[in-house]
Amino acid sequence: MDIAVEVSEVTKIFGNFRALDGLSFEVKSGEVFGLIGPNGAGKTTALRIISTLLLPTYGTVKIFGLDVVKNAATIRKIISYLPEEAGAYRYLSGWEYLEFMAKFYTKDDEKVREMVNEAARISGLGERLKDKTGTYSKGMKRRLLVARALMNKPKLAILDEPTSGLDVIHSYHVREIIKKYVKDYGVTVILSSHNMLEVEHVCDKVALINKGKVIAEGTPRELEEKFESENLEEVFAKVVKLA
Amino acid sequence: MLKGFRNFLLKELKEFARDPKILLGIVIVPLVLFSVLGGLMSYAMQSAEESTIRSNFVVINNDCENWSYTFIKFLSSSGSKVFVEENVELNDGKLIELLSKYNVTQALEIPKGFSANITAHAKNPNITASVKFYVHITTTNIFDATRYLPIDATISQFNRALAPDVLNIEKSTIIKGEIKHNVDPATVSGLMVSQSVFIPIAIIILLFYSIQLAATSVAIEKEEKTLETLLTLPIDRLTILFGKLVGSMIIAAIGAVTYIAGYAYFMQSLISKTTPNFVMDLVSLGLVPSFLGYVLLGASLFVTILSALALAVILSAFAGDVRSAQSLVGFIYPIIFLSTFALMYIDAGALPYALRLVLYAIPFSHPIIVSKAVIMGDYVTPTLSIFYVSFFTLALMYVASRLFATEKILTAKLKLKWFTKYGKTTGEP
Repeated sequence: MDIAVEVSEVTKIFGNFRALDGLSFEVKSGEVFGLIGPNGAGKTTALRIISTLLLPTYGTVKIFGLDVVKNAATIRKIISYLPEEAGAYRYLSGWEYLEFMAKFYTKDDEKVREMVNEAARISGLGERLKDKTGTYSKGMKRRLLVARALMNKPKLAILDEPTSGLDVIHSYHVREIIKKYVKDYGVTVILSSHNMLEVEHVCDKVALINKGKVIAEGTPRELEEKFESENLEEVFAKVVKLA
Repeated sequence: MLKGFRNFLLKELKEFARDPKILLGIVIVPLVLFSVLGGLMSYAMQSAEESTIRSNFVVINNDCENWSYTFIKFLSSSGSKVFVEENVELNDGKLIELLSKYNVTQALEIPKGFSANITAHAKNPNITASVKFYVHITTTNIFDATRYLPIDATISQFNRALAPDVLNIEKSTIIKGEIKHNVDPATVSGLMVSQSVFIPIAIIILLFYSIQLAATSVAIEKEEKTLETLLTLPIDRLTILFGKLVGSMIIAAIGAVTYIAGYAYFMQSLISKTTPNFVMDLVSLGLVPSFLGYVLLGASLFVTILSALALAVILSAFAGDVRSAQSLVGFIYPIIFLSTFALMYIDAGALPYALRLVLYAIPFSHPIIVSKAVIMGDYVTPTLSIFYVSFFTLALMYVASRLFATEKILTAKLKLKWFTKYGKTTGEP
């Protein structure tokens, strides 16, 4: 299996604050990789560096062999990033928003239509896509944004809390979509989540990070065995307490 | 009634007071702005007063008889500095040459037969003498019209001393090197002042619209959390920057056109009500820009707006939300106010060198400088001005593009340490 993401000894310093401190991990192609950790552990900073938004202070990050600093423009063509608190343009309808986003990936009108139809199917928003996004509930907006992140079938999808703000039914729906995309289109996914059930259910591999570095890594089963825990939630509590 | 109002109001006031940008904008900026504006106004009034008192003339005495010398003596005693030339055949070129020789803008011609007419008036009151008064209009500001009043007072004093209505005055204006006979300079000046007020106001509004739109359009991407997504898309960051600048400019231009149309209608309705028999207009006097003038004025406005937009984008990059962005760009407004108001009241060329440099360094002064210059047929000043503002704008665009090209567009924050410290809460976190 190819290496999709290679994070080596990454440190990120904001002023006097060290958000990441020698973070390292690898994600294989076609894998769903979960980043978990307490608030302020550095998950979002790590995802922002992988998605070319921030530059590492030290260390390197490679996406399918491309460096995030030197090859940022090329990387942006093959990734899709869903921020934790993302929003949509309130005066555009759902359709218009999806069209606007799709046109950055292709100039072919037919392909744009295909992408938007795919996103409409993923979001399940139906007729509400004709309404302005400013009228959407938090859950509806999140579904629209998840659909936007997956509609172009990226080689790497970086999803920060993909089911944040969604109810049980819609969370389940989104998780199934992520799994389907990995299986059908070979999309590699890195996601962060506070929902351990979700991580256990979706992720092939998990890295637990705290204070900007990985403190445990493996498949959910491996971690449960290693830390003699019944589930990932217990692993999380034990590891963070130990750290 | 209004239960909890006090609690809520306290929260509101705390929020405003602890935002250093608002504190600066509401308290410090107006204090500085009005002090500087006050200083400028008093300078403008003082220089207008001085130029009124010391109205210097060149007198062309083509009569060279007793009464002409008496009249010149009378002029000198009224406080004006008088330069005398005798027996000069006047034409447009000669008059301008004399004005330039003595560095004055006003000339008085005493025609041949002046003394004879005054003497004859004693026997026949129908015979009167006359002098010709010329004013060379080279610039315009609000106080200009008052400059030409002393000559009327001097003539009427002379008549009072000698005989009622013995002396008449024929006023002419020199515009762009050409004498416009029987055109009162005060009227021309008044007309030009209406323009010199209208243009700065229109420019202020256009700049304010543009700045607000550009700052809001960047800040709203941050506030609505759409910027992060946008920056990870396969789109050049410069495209985002130019998209924002051009979008803001188009909307601002529409807003400005609507506003100016409304304002022009308002002015028109005022003029038609107050001056029904007003026949003189700036077009017939040649006091409107030529086609090249309009092109230069348009180019000047374009680069100035672009500089304002780039500045707004840079400042709003340091704001986390729309409110902060609006507070931050609020710091640009006093600079616009100061430069435009100063040019309404003061002739930039008459300012001390250091002050003139400051005024010229502000890009927002330039559309007004250009608008005044093109009316007078001066195309060198506008060209230099456009070069300067373009250079300034390019420098700003470079800074803005660097902000957009790096992570600073997401992470930059303006640190106002003293104010942050001042606004800190003493409570536990």
